[in-house]
Order: sequence, then structure tokens, then C-alpha cells
Amino acid sequence: MEIHARWTKILKDMWNNRSRSMLVILSIAVGVAAVGMITNGSRILKRDLYGAHLAGNPSQLNIYVSPFQEELVTAVEGAREVEHAEPRRTVGALVYDQKNWEDIRLTVIPDFDDIPVNQLTLEAGSPTPSIREVLLERQSAAGLGVEVGDEIVVEMSDERRYALTVSGIVHDLYNSPYAISGEASGFIKMETLEWLGETPYYTYMQVSVSENQTDKEYVLATGEMIRDRIIEPAGYRVSRTDIPGYGSEPGEHWAQKPINGFLLILQIMSVMAIFLSGGLVINTVTAILTQQIRQIGIMRSIGAVRSQITQMYVVNILVFAILGLILAIPLGLLGAWGIGLLAATFMNFNLGPIDISPGLLILQVVLAIVMPVAAALYPIMAGTEISIYDAVYQHGLMSKNAEKHGLINELLHKLRRLSAPILLSLRNTFRNKTRLAFTMVTLTLAGAMFISVFSTRTSLTHQISEVARYVNYDAAISTPGGVNKYTAEREALRIPGIEIAEGWALGSATVIHSDGVEGTDIELVGLPYDAATIDPDMIEGRWLTQDDDWQVVVNEDLLDEESEIHVGGDLILKIDGMERTYQVVGVTSKHLSGERAYISYSTFGKITGRQNEADTIRVRADAGKISNASTQDELADLLEERFENAQLSTSSADTQHAIFSYFTSAFDIILLILIIMAAILAIVGSLGLTGTMGINVLERTREIGVLRAVGASTNAVRQVVVTEGVVVGLISWLLGAILSAPTGFVLGSAVVNALFQTDLAYKYSFIGLGIWLVIIILIGVLASLAPARNAVLLTVREVLDYE
Amino acid sequence: MTKNNGSKQTEQLISLRDLHKDYHTAAGPFPALKGIDLSVDRGEFLTVIGKSGAGKSTMINVITGIDSPTSGEIVIDGAPIHAMTEDQVARWRGDNMGVVFQFFQLLPSLNLIENITLAMDFRNSYPLKERKERALHLLEQVGIAEHAYKTPSKISGGQQQRVAIARALANDPQLILADEPTGNLDSRTAAGILDLFEQLVDQGKTLLLVTHDEDIASRATRTITIANGRIVNGHVDGN
Repeated sequence: MEIHARWTKILKDMWNNRSRSMLVILSIAVGVAAVGMITNGSRILKRDLYGAHLAGNPSQLNIYVSPFQEELVTAVEGAREVEHAEPRRTVGALVYDQKNWEDIRLTVIPDFDDIPVNQLTLEAGSPTPSIREVLLERQSAAGLGVEVGDEIVVEMSDERRYALTVSGIVHDLYNSPYAISGEASGFIKMETLEWLGETPYYTYMQVSVSENQTDKEYVLATGEMIRDRIIEPAGYRVSRTDIPGYGSEPGEHWAQKPINGFLLILQIMSVMAIFLSGGLVINTVTAILTQQIRQIGIMRSIGAVRSQITQMYVVNILVFAILGLILAIPLGLLGAWGIGLLAATFMNFNLGPIDISPGLLILQVVLAIVMPVAAALYPIMAGTEISIYDAVYQHGLMSKNAEKHGLINELLHKLRRLSAPILLSLRNTFRNKTRLAFTMVTLTLAGAMFISVFSTRTSLTHQISEVARYVNYDAAISTPGGVNKYTAEREALRIPGIEIAEGWALGSATVIHSDGVEGTDIELVGLPYDAATIDPDMIEGRWLTQDDDWQVVVNEDLLDEESEIHVGGDLILKIDGMERTYQVVGVTSKHLSGERAYISYSTFGKITGRQNEADTIRVRADAGKISNASTQDELADLLEERFENAQLSTSSADTQHAIFSYFTSAFDIILLILIIMAAILAIVGSLGLTGTMGINVLERTREIGVLRAVGASTNAVRQVVVTEGVVVGLISWLLGAILSAPTGFVLGSAVVNALFQTDLAYKYSFIGLGIWLVIIILIGVLASLAPARNAVLLTVREVLDYE
Repeated sequence: MTKNNGSKQTEQLISLRDLHKDYHTAAGPFPALKGIDLSVDRGEFLTVIGKSGAGKSTMINVITGIDSPTSGEIVIDGAPIHAMTEDQVARWRGDNMGVVFQFFQLLPSLNLIENITLAMDFRNSYPLKERKERALHLLEQVGIAEHAYKTPSKISGGQQQRVAIARALANDPQLILADEPTGNLDSRTAAGILDLFEQLVDQGKTLLLVTHDEDIASRATRTITIANGRIVNGHVDGN
């Protein structure tokens, strides 16, 4: 087949410069694949998680009520505003997993054949458990290593143990999964709960409203209506009404807000990857045109008009773009599968088919075609604009810019003590400042993102360690239902090695606004004013003192929710139906606990009628410092044993390090994805540096020939090239280090805000800075090794031929 | 005095009127051409000689349209080159003029045939299927058809210049301009190239050749000498 000579030229140029062609193709592919990976990953997550969540008819409202029977729900369902209501009760117990006793929550569902909201999906066995049977959530079953037909042993709060047969395995999308909460989950019928020694009643109802299901105000108003017109007139007390999830809107998945926030961050990073790819394309195309300027002049001298030349290079870019796209689509799909798989494992949902939507395909095609062509258009127009005279006769001679004596050039010319090859490398680095700038921007952004990810991790770790102030104990054990504080403390202190034991009382309260309207539900903590297991960071005001009775200290989370609250002001709290006014004396920092108010232990007893009772006992082995992890574990075991023997509690004890490792492991998955994105940016950056170094060597062929002619050894030539690559890397590292301070703050804040809806206590990661330094030096060396090899292979004769 | 060109047309092909070219240098404007007036007839073999820096390459560059004059007129076969845009000149040059450079300036990625067909491609001057055949014919004409599928780096400098001449003939132009075409070749190879040029003139082409070698100039039908941007000797006899 005959083909026009100009297209032959383009194809042969591409083939003859395979490495550079691959660089451009990979640059396009990486950027477009990153967009595909994130966009498709988000789509798959939304389809498979949110879609499945919606399919199970999610409730929009939880109403927590004093013990009630099913008839109350029938009355609630009778309201016009209510579509469905279902009573439930969840009790905590322990389950033996062949090695340890683990926490399990057993949820009572009245009718397994008709679950109107938050439906379970049967995965194995029977959907309807009989008495003495349990349906286990699939992650819990896998975690406990049990299958349908197996028995599990549960220990209830009265310490009696029961064997339950696993009659089925179900998938529950409406509660935090085992992988996140570390708590197993099972579903039983009321008769089973009764057999387990519990009184048969329900404690909360899950409600779906009949209209405006996504309208938060309407849903909350419906909740108030149900409370005021149906539940409370029937003689029951509503302790709390809320929308399920972490800041979710009605009907949304419980983690939808944090997930969406995180996906937004990833999308911003993928857009950055596209911009970096674009920069790389500009850089490489400029380099191609620089190299081909003389050829452009020759083509014009034999009759080519500018539009023909422009067309040739645009087609060249289009071929790169199409090849990049061909690579990007499967790469993006692979990445989306990876993200989907990670999310599905973590969030406990079923990953559907990994396909690509027509919209995303179009987006990728448009990005792959438009981005490189748009990026390359300016260098192409500028490159083809040069006159034939300049192209043929002036190109390759010392450029006018080289004559300019800028500040950098002057500084470099003052350096005398360095060896000649090093000096040459340093001066070479700044010879083509535009190209240097492009490479620098790419590497700097990649570096800033990389360090930012590490800073985000450091900040999160710092945030968690700040929480340590509020869980300033070695171990703590809960005493459900309350025990005598002094008895419990005395028992704890009998354990050898325990120096401090503190009983705290926990309860709930509702903030009442000055206009009488109910506000935020909060956790109320009654503790000794001189508690040793808390070291609050006071943002404003002061901590509790011995004389404080009707004074409270609130946390910053509550301040965020209730703007009326201020130090020195009044706070009306409704506790057990009684409203009382307290004075706010201080505000503590946020500590990932939700909204809280601290009050004197004795006052707590008075207002709740639970004098001398404690709900949790916190212990420390040493008043001076927190013990190490193994000591904490030992103390926890001793505490559990002692409290069980003393019939105070059968709960498992928490340790400070276990709380932290739970948080850290959750963050690590998120940070892993962020590091993958930073690595993509680093790959784009290293491709940019490789391209730049290749072109630099090509442009300096004559100079390298001269170096060889005057006796430069192979090592000396290699050193000149590699040093230049490393110098570029080091400068970008320095710029990246500076830029990463603000970008790290923005990224860290976005991640923390997405996950916890709270502000970040920012910490810069010097470890990240150090790791990036090592990586950038490696990139600098590796990116310049191939060009350096080409340089040392050049002979003086070849150089003369070149000219 | 001119050679006897037999039946060749003697009408004017190139007309230069008061041609000036100034270069802007750091030391101020440098006049490379200071009012050149020249006529070249069809079928002439004109050599332009002069010392380095005299302005001979500048003159040939403004005639080819590779560089533009500061003032003055260049009319070739009735076409006002000085008034054309770069693209218009490129088209006109592709159709009517072959340019041969000192350093051959072949495209390294293309083989010899493709280097020649590229010139036809840009001007769309022959049907696609005929281009290769014509390129081979031109390579035969310059005596290196056996290397047709090699890339320029695989042949000698003299052979590369022959390819450059074949490329200059690709669109069958009436005028060929060559700037020091033998400047980068040994004397034996240079002689072969000059023979080739003479054959072209014998075939009716008009040849304008820049050189600093008076021996080469002696083979032309007419020679002009340029010194300090001016034609100082308009008519020098050939052999």
C-alpha cells in the first residue's frame, strides 16, 4: 500500500525514537488511567455499595425508646407520615472464637420473613432462625471461622453461656462491619433473647418516612411528631432520635459522607495527574520540535506550508494519544477493580462487574485526545513558526538566551571550587530554563503530593495521640448497668501492679436551646474533678474543680454543633426528662468522641439518681506514665478476670494501644490509596525527568563529542549527565518541601474532615520529606542513566556527522 | 561572455532589483546586501563567487525565499517573491525551484526514495502511485539507484549530495539553486557533482550556484563576484 511520505516520516520518527514515544504514550496513559481509575472506582463503589444499600430499603430515622413491645410500632406505623417502622433491640455479649472472647452484638428482629427496612441478604442457610439459632453477619462468620450448622458459644452479661446454632449467614449493609468495628454481629428472634435470660422487650425502632425521604428537616420533624404524638403519650420515654450514619443525610449509607469526601480528594488528585501529564506532553513535544527544527526548515524549503507541518505533528500527537488511550482504558479498569476490591473488603459489600460506563469511556477518549493535542498545540505552533533561515542556519548555534546573564548564571559562574564536570552539570541544568521549569513543576507537584500524604498520616497519628489525653489509661473495663464505684475501684486496686483505679459514670443528655427547642444529644460524663486518667487539652476556660457542682466542661465538637454555647454562659441539659441549667466553665479540644459534657461525679449521681455507681473503671499501673502495650494487655486480662470473679463485669477490657491500633489500621487503608495516587504522580514526574534528560543529551551531542575529544572518560561523561539529573531532582525536592507545607495541610484537613467531620491538628512529616529525598535521588539517577549511556556511546565521529 | 546554449530560450528568468538585506547584530545593523541588481536568463549556469562573508549565501537565501530581503524586488518567472508570504513562497518554491544545501539536509529517518517523494507529497505534484517510480528514476539519473532503500546515514557525503540534487529535481523545477554544494566534499566527489549539474543545465535547467572556489566558477556559463554586499564583477567568462 502506498503511503504519503510525510506520514512515513512521522511513523519512522516515532519508531526511531521509541523511548521518547513511549514516554509520551505513558504520560498520556498514566493521567487518563488515573482519571479512569478514580472515576470508575467511584462509580463502581456508588453502584455496588450505595445501590445495594438503597435496594435494602434503608430507614431514615432511629428512635431510641424506653423498653417497649411490638404494639407501639404498630401505632407508629399507623401515622400517615410513616411508611415503615420496625422494632429492634441490640444486646452486647461475648462470643468465643476458639482462642479469645470477642464482643458480639445480637440484634433482635421481630419477623425475619418480613423485614421492612434495612433488609438483610441471605448468603447461606435459612433466612429464618428458630429459637436457639442465630444468623451471623458474613464478615463476623468469616472472622469467627464458623459456617452454617456450626455452634457458637455466647456469654451474656449474667455470665451464663449458651450455645447458638448458626442457621444462616447474612449480609448486612446497615451497620459498621466486623472489619471496621472489630465487633461481631448476629441476628436472633425475641424467643432466643428470652432463652438467653433477657427480658423480652425492644429498645429502638427504625423508621422510614412516607415522603420527602431525603429531607433532613422533614425526617427529624417526623421523628419529633412520632415522639410527641404517639410514643410519649403512650407512656414511653424517647431518649434519642437520630439519622443513622456519620453525618449522613436521611437514607444515605452510614459512611456515605466520609466515603464521598475521600472520593472527592482522589478525584482532585486524578485531575492533578492529568495536568501533570499535560505538562509532560508539552515538555516532550517541545523537545521533539526542538530536535526537529532543522527538519522543519528543510521540509519548508522543499515546498511544505506551515499547515502541512502542523498537521504532521498534530497527527503524531494523535497517534500517541490513541496508543495512550489503548493503554489507559485497561489500566484504569484494573485500578478501578483494585479500588473496588479494597473498598468492598473494607466496607463489606459485593463487588459487581468491573465495566466501564459510556460516559466515562467518552471522558477518557476526550481527555486522551484533547489533553495532549491542546497541550501540544502551542509548542507545535511555536515550532512551525520559525523561519526556514533560522531553522536551517541558526538552529544548533548558541542561542540568544545563552548570552543572557541572569542571576542564576552569574552565581553559577562564580562557583570555582567544584570540579569541571560538576560545574558543567550545574550550568547545564539551567541552560534551557523553560524545559527545566516544566520538569520542575511536574516533579515539585509530585513531591508535594507525596510528602502531603505522609504529613496527612503524621497529622492523623498526632490527632490520635492527642486523643490519648482523654483515654489516659492502661486499661478500662465497662460495667454495664452500673456497679458500686468504690467496690469496683477497690477490686481493681487489688490487682498487683495497678496504682490508679477510677470509676466514671456515663449517661446521655439533650441540649435545650434558649427558646426551649431540643438540640444535640450528647454524652454526659461524671468523673472526679482530679481524675488521673484524663489530661484534657483546654481550648478555653478551665477544667473542673472541687467546688464545681453545676458547672460543666464541654468539648469543641459540641461547640461546633451548638453555637449558643460559650464559656461563662448557661447550658440547659435535659437528663432523664428533667431540664437543669449548668454553667459552662471550659472547652476541651476535640477527641474523636462526639459531643460531650464533663460534670462532677457527685453532681452526676444527684441528677441521675445513680449515686456511687460507675459505668466504666479506668486503671493505670503507673501514675507517672502510660505502660507499654504488653503491660496494658496483661492488665486488661487481669482486670477482666478480677471483675468476672468479683461478679462486677463480664465485659472485655479495652487498652489504650488497642484503641489506637484500630484507628491507625483504618487510616492505613485510606493512606495506602493516597500513596498509590502519589506514586502515580511520582511516575509521571520521573517520566518527565527522563524525557528532559534525553533531550538535553541529544541537544548537547556536539558538546559531549568535544568533551570526549578533549579526553573526558566514560565515567566523566556519565557523571556530567547523572549529576544534572540529580540536581534537577534535588531542586524539585526543595521546592516540593516548601509547597508540601500548605498542600499537606489542605489534603490532611480534607481527609480528616471527610472521615471525622472535624478539624485537623496539622503536623508536617519530616519522615515523608526524607523518603521523598531518597526517591527523588533515585529518580534523578535512574532517569538520567539511559541518556547517560547514550551519551557515553557517542563517538567524536558520530558527533561530527550529527552536525 | 556566455556559452553557446544552442536552441535554449534566452529570456529572463530571475530579476533582482536594488536588493538590500540588513542583519541586526549586537553591534548594530549589518548590511549584508547593498543594492543588488541582477538578471538571470533561462538555461543559464550562473555561479556566484566571493569571499566568506561577502554576501553570496545571503543573496541565494533571499532568492530562494529562505530569507527575506530588507528592500528591493525579486521576480522569478514573473512571480514577485519579495511580496509573497512565507507559505506562498513555500508553495511556489516547491513547484518551481530546487534547493541544494552545503550539508545535504536530508531527513535522517527517511530512506532515499522517501526523501525524494516527500517533496512531491507536499506539493501533491504526481499521483501517489507514480511518486516512487519517479524517485527511483531520479536516483538513477544521479547514479545511486542501488542505494534507494538506505537511510542517508548509510551512504557517503557525495552520495547524499546526489540524493539532495535528486530531491531538488523531484517536482521538475525549471530553476535549481545550490549553496556551496561541493563545500563539504572531496575534490573527486565534487567533480562528479559538478558533472551532474552540467548535465542538468544541458537538459535545460537554470542553475544558480554559490561557491568560493574559482575552479568551479570556471565551469559556469556566467559568474558574478560579490564583495562587501555588492556585485563587483557582473560578467566573467566561463571555459
